[in-house]
Amino acid sequence: MTLPFPRHATIASLWLAAAMAFAQEHGVAERLYLSGDRAYAARSFAEALESWNQVLQQEPRSPYAARALYRIARHHADEGRPQQALPLIEKLKSEHLSSPWAGEGMLLRGSLLAQAARRPQDLREAMGEYHRVLDLFPDLPSAPEAHARLGQAWKDQGSWGRALHHFLEASRLDPRSLVGLQATLQAAELLDLTGDLQGCLRMLQRVRDLGPGTALAEEAGWRLAVRIRHRLLRGPLRSEGPWPGGRTKWLKTPTLLATGPKGELFIYQDDLDRAAELRGDQLVPVGPTGRNAKAMVAGPAGSPWLVLSKQPVLRDEGVLGTAGPAAPGGAFMDRWGTLWLSDAKNPSLLLVAPDGSSRSIPSPTAVALAPLPGGAAVLASDSNRSLHFINAQGQPQLTVPYGKDLSGPFRSVLSLCSDPLGHIAAIVDGGDFEGVVLWGPDGQVLRSATWKSLGISGKFRAIALDRAGGILLADRSNDLLVRLI
Amino acid sequence: MRPLLPRLLLFTLLGIAARSQDPALQEAHQQAKALWSNQGDREGASAKFEHVVAALSPKGKDLADSWRQVLCEALNWLAVLDDRSPAQKARALQNLEAILDLDPDFEIDRSLTPARLQAQFDGLRATRLVKLRLVLQPEGGSLLMDGRPTAPAPSKFVPLGDHVLTYSKPGFAPVEKRLRAEAKDTPSVEFNLVRTSSTLRLHLSPVGTEVLLDGRSLGRAGGSAPADLAPLAAKAGVRLEDLSGPFLVSELKPGRHILEFRAPCHRPKKVAIPEEYTQTFQDVTLEPYGLESSKGALSVSSAWEGGELFLDGTSRGTLPQQLPLCPGTYQLEVRFPSGGFAQTLEIQDGKTLPVLAKPKPRLAFVGSEADPSLPGMARLLQQASTLGGRLTELAYFLRAGEEGPREILARLRAARGAELFLRFAPGREGGPSLDAVVSTPEGEEERLSLRPLEQDPLGALAARLNRFPSLEQNWGGIVVADFPGEKGPWVLQAEEAALRAGLQVNASLQEVNQVPLASAADFRAAVDRAQGESLTIVQGGKTFKVPLTLAPVELPVADPQFSYPAVLATLRLKLLGAKGEAAAQLRFQQALAWMHFRKWEKAVEALREIRMTSLQGVSQGTVEYYTGLCLLRLGTTYIPEAIQAFTQAQRYPRATLFGPDGPSVAPLAKQAVEDQRLN
Repeated sequence: MTLPFPRHATIASLWLAAAMAFAQEHGVAERLYLSGDRAYAARSFAEALESWNQVLQQEPRSPYAARALYRIARHHADEGRPQQALPLIEKLKSEHLSSPWAGEGMLLRGSLLAQAARRPQDLREAMGEYHRVLDLFPDLPSAPEAHARLGQAWKDQGSWGRALHHFLEASRLDPRSLVGLQATLQAAELLDLTGDLQGCLRMLQRVRDLGPGTALAEEAGWRLAVRIRHRLLRGPLRSEGPWPGGRTKWLKTPTLLATGPKGELFIYQDDLDRAAELRGDQLVPVGPTGRNAKAMVAGPAGSPWLVLSKQPVLRDEGVLGTAGPAAPGGAFMDRWGTLWLSDAKNPSLLLVAPDGSSRSIPSPTAVALAPLPGGAAVLASDSNRSLHFINAQGQPQLTVPYGKDLSGPFRSVLSLCSDPLGHIAAIVDGGDFEGVVLWGPDGQVLRSATWKSLGISGKFRAIALDRAGGILLADRSNDLLVRLI
Repeated sequence: MRPLLPRLLLFTLLGIAARSQDPALQEAHQQAKALWSNQGDREGASAKFEHVVAALSPKGKDLADSWRQVLCEALNWLAVLDDRSPAQKARALQNLEAILDLDPDFEIDRSLTPARLQAQFDGLRATRLVKLRLVLQPEGGSLLMDGRPTAPAPSKFVPLGDHVLTYSKPGFAPVEKRLRAEAKDTPSVEFNLVRTSSTLRLHLSPVGTEVLLDGRSLGRAGGSAPADLAPLAAKAGVRLEDLSGPFLVSELKPGRHILEFRAPCHRPKKVAIPEEYTQTFQDVTLEPYGLESSKGALSVSSAWEGGELFLDGTSRGTLPQQLPLCPGTYQLEVRFPSGGFAQTLEIQDGKTLPVLAKPKPRLAFVGSEADPSLPGMARLLQQASTLGGRLTELAYFLRAGEEGPREILARLRAARGAELFLRFAPGREGGPSLDAVVSTPEGEEERLSLRPLEQDPLGALAARLNRFPSLEQNWGGIVVADFPGEKGPWVLQAEEAALRAGLQVNASLQEVNQVPLASAADFRAAVDRAQGESLTIVQGGKTFKVPLTLAPVELPVADPQFSYPAVLATLRLKLLGAKGEAAAQLRFQQALAWMHFRKWEKAVEALREIRMTSLQGVSQGTVEYYTGLCLLRLGTTYIPEAIQAFTQAQRYPRATLFGPDGPSVAPLAKQAVEDQRLN
């Protein structure tokens, strides 16, 4: 007869077996996860995803399951498949809310939602996710990123104070990281928008001090230099002559200039019916061909879009919208991808959404249009001889009469441009002042010069601001560019 | 006949008690003899002899020679007394047998013992023992019989049977011989030892001096010197009572040897043994050696009050202290009312070591909650025991013990025994991960992931604990920026003192303190390096001096370089005794440290207490702004107070965040008010 196994020994042995099994299970989950990690590093994505999916199937409650879910979702997001990433993030949140990977997932979800937003109110859900990250996972290493994204969302909604707070928080939490430096840069720009130029300059220098040699330091560098040159020094404009390198007669009737998000210069040559990008001292044809383009704007993919009279907008990837303005004077693309177009024959602005739909908003009849930071814009109206500053909703904020603070009035604006810092430059004509004027974001004249004082002559029909504090002029009659400094 | 077992038990118990009273036992033995010899008190004498036998019998053959002698004598006397008592007569023979068992060579007192008992004794001896004749050459050695020491006499009684005899003497090769003792036999054994080395006999002062031969320790010289060494002791300059008994150095092979003598608080001495002593084997007695005493001193003081000095764990009183100490290594610890100081010291002969103790936060290692079988755990724990030697900003103590870490932590917290605690705990991720947890008594905690199998698993932790952020920077009142194309950094802003000195804004600088400048980074580096009260600046060909001050900078709130529990503990210590503006600044930094831990209420509490006199840079306006921020964190209930704080902050137009050249507080505070009002 066998004696029954003592009860306490049964319990003890069961516990021991469970503990060993737990240890073994976690060992398997860890090995599968790491195997996927190695495959991913070697860019064997299919193998990596399979290993991670095995973690989910075999060890769904393991801490590695949360990591695996996040990594798979991240992969889909990076590959441009947000619709596959989002359900995984939901699963991560519902099944592993206590894991820090749920926090990372929420941040990713917020980013995906923000990317898909087409108007300010679309950002609310994304902002909700960012707030949840900060409330539930305050120690998450990505907390500074959550603050930075919140800052960007508030900025996109026009709430600059809140945006500034979050950018500063991100900067404070991780001042030397890429996220922190970007946040500091954003905070600097917002300080300028809110009227604190000195604070803006100090913050830009802080980016350079904390991130020496980085791309952001370089970015901060040119923003510093341009502001100092235009807003503090405000020296008299002088001509450097034909540019670059004194080249003359090298263009084919340049009539439009535009700058891209990285400072690239696009030149539309009327004789060629096409734009080209100046790369070094080489002109590289870019974008679609379009005869007699009236306005040009840098597209999101880095190539220019052309606005023609009464026609859809021309792009590399096909036309946008239906018939455009009768007399397009200027164009820009806002943060949501909507194209704003002015019409010199109509008191309205045409807004064309990325899907091609369009609507109009009332405005003074504008011969030229340029964007300003924070979603605002400036339009030049010859009919009432004023510059009109409007906000992101198209509502007027400030009106500056032509010729204010100049030695004499002018009657028309032949070309208008702006830079990301809010400086506005125009070629003005008619009246006692014919030449170039540079205004600040608050409408104050910063610098100006007549053709006579510059000692140049030509048919200047396009203007652009470069990132070295220079003003570029396109002379259609002499087929060249002139740079002012 | 009395029952044996109870008697044995009684004897055992009495033996345990009595053995602890050797002089009393000797006295009882003498009294017993006197009672019978002088007074004829057989009962009284028997009782005393029984007491002596009971006390000594348990040890039996393990007794020292002198006590064995006493026991045998007592048994002899007891046998004589028992023989006179009809009731005890049988025991007499047992006592005689016991004598033979204890010491076969014991000779009974034939003047005391009756002839009949003598005959019985001799008979017993003849049947059990044989008389062994021994020739021992040279004399003076040690004799073992069956592994036990026995007196090296010319003759000995040995029990019947097989025996192993070993005779040895220092300097000679021992010899072992086997013997079969048979009844009525008269065996004889001869030992002639062969000389194999020289020996040295020496006496040393102080007693307890360690003797080393060619670097190998041979032990310590103990005992006391015989009186006849007094002249030699005097000649060596030592007192006889300070001289040890003979210390024998044997097995001296031919060649050169160095003797070294070491004793605490004495200078070590080396003596070269003349080769003539070892070339020809001989026994040499050296002259006595006395070591010179050596002393150093320790002087411990502190600018902080209330420190108690501990040396190697023993309290030496409150500071300041001047202590004479023997040269050597000591563990010094000073316990302050808050904080501690720890250092390993090396005291040198004839020198005084001054130590200025400054309280540092005490970090107590309280043990590990992790699985001890984790690979690398033993090595990690060993590294934890020596972590103190790597820490420069904290006083480190080991408090791990039998209790669990949580219990030790609770106890230390209640006793305010440390400002910081370190323990190892399972990692949050589960599985075989491990964390180092640093915490304050108030519960501010951080975790650092450890990899026990790394080359230096505690290296990152030590580095974090050794760092403390800089809370001030050199400041000349000048804000510069890089402006390409200019000869030097561009002056954006300048304070009044710099402007009065002649500095121009919106112009570049060329030199600071004779250092040419190409960038804002050059300027900052030159200012950071500057010492003294002013900067010498060259701008546009002109030279002028600008005052140099120390400007406060904010504690970074989330820098992974620092251990924030340690930062908080250090700030608490610094606050003790700080006054005025310095105290206000430290309190502000403390509030920032609490913000790191999201302890908003504590931060607000600290911020509310602060009244800084400075109005520019990190100053009162900064305090008000952060008060507003922390109040917002506490929820909608505190929005009105937050708006009030932001409004207050706007009254300090020159206050900044981060440092003296950070963003202005006033515009930020204004924006914050507008945002809240819009809600």
